[in-house]
Amino acid sequence: MKVLIIDYGMGNIKSIVSSLKYLGIDDISVSNELEKIKSADKLILPGVGSFAKAMNTIRELNIDKYLQDTVLIQKKPILGICLGMQLMGLSSEEDGLTDGLGFVAGKVIKFDSTNLKVPHVGFNQVHFQDTSRLYQGLKNSSDFYFTHSFKMDSDAPINQATCDYGNTFVASYELDNIAGVQFHPELSQTNGLKLLENFIKSF
Amino acid sequence: MLRKRIIFTLIYENGFFMQSRNFRLQKVGNIDWLEKNYKFQHIAFSLDELIVLNASRENKDISKFANILSQLVNDVFIPIAAGGGIRSTDDAKILFNNGADKIVLNTILSKDAALVQELITTYGSQSIIAAIDYKKIDGKNKVFIEDGKEELAIELEEYIEYVVGLNVGEIYLNCIDKDGTGFGYDFDTIAKISESLNIPLILAGGAGNEKHLIEGLSMNNVNAVATANLFNFIGDGLPKARKRILDERLNIAQWN
Repeated sequence: MKVLIIDYGMGNIKSIVSSLKYLGIDDISVSNELEKIKSADKLILPGVGSFAKAMNTIRELNIDKYLQDTVLIQKKPILGICLGMQLMGLSSEEDGLTDGLGFVAGKVIKFDSTNLKVPHVGFNQVHFQDTSRLYQGLKNSSDFYFTHSFKMDSDAPINQATCDYGNTFVASYELDNIAGVQFHPELSQTNGLKLLENFIKSF
Repeated sequence: MLRKRIIFTLIYENGFFMQSRNFRLQKVGNIDWLEKNYKFQHIAFSLDELIVLNASRENKDISKFANILSQLVNDVFIPIAAGGGIRSTDDAKILFNNGADKIVLNTILSKDAALVQELITTYGSQSIIAAIDYKKIDGKNKVFIEDGKEELAIELEEYIEYVVGLNVGEIYLNCIDKDGTGFGYDFDTIAKISESLNIPLILAGGAGNEKHLIEGLSMNNVNAVATANLFNFIGDGLPKARKRILDERLNIAQWN
């Protein structure tokens, strides 16, 4: 099993690598080269930080084109984590309106901080649908670790799991070969390890 | 429902982990000692987060600290925040590349607001914890930087307002008078400042047992409690404390 973590220089990927190793995956690489992306069995799109900055880097490195080919045409499984999940959406209003990769019909907006502490930080409960592949074997409303100031909203059929903070927002989506989670499975103890294992096995 | 958090803070100085009391450091052991007495991968399952602070007083060798950090975080699947001595974007980058999910800033909050802005632009507010150390002097809460060595003219409430204005993600509020005493958090001050705070608040300084953690977690507007007491929570102290806190039906996360 070859898992490739797409490298565009944003945030800590050490804990993702360490989680995958813990799950017994022997071939883990971190790269942004087309050949590596093509030869991987599964892709992980990580990310922390600014949406606009991330999209700029992704375009500069041509990762957007590589992913359109491998994810949309070849249907290679991909898991977006945190900012990576948001980047596969249509757009974000972080740092002005920026277009995303557009794989998933969801828009990223800021939390309304009027009566709410922002960022949303800590473990929160995730409510998923019975058809979910990501949460197999987990109890509904299990806790996962979130840390973010922007969230995805969508009313499209993207098999979403939800989380409540102020309002309900998209905690994860699952579409064919594409999955994204707003929380950090690699920082969510046994619940997160189970979810990563499910992605590897069921996508 | 968003859960409250229990955080363990490790204080590091020149290759060793320390017990701090009112910011005076006492050597406890190196990373092997820590591994032997805490079995960190096991203990981490009782924690929501880990904070590792470089409190080295003379020379904060960030590369050496980052190396210890990267050993510490192997097979620990919880968020790790690291800081102490961050004075440049490179310092921050070294910590992120060695396993930090967030960074903790203190002195530069008052001395280099431009750098704080730059770090926020790159890593996002949610990656930045602002650590604030304060001490009571003549009945007033005065803010200290540079490992408690330098007193600022500004008072705590005004300083918190300033720090929130920088757009940091969270506040780690540490009372130097209570630090390492085990007498409990500075509840009076916390009650006063927490009500108006619109970003997450982490309490530090003074927790001696799980009753203090429970008292802190029960306060409105407190999002997390931290303890740095290596002795009170040795062995299975933390798993037991977490269990008691769950028995009290406090709002903390559970893992399958």
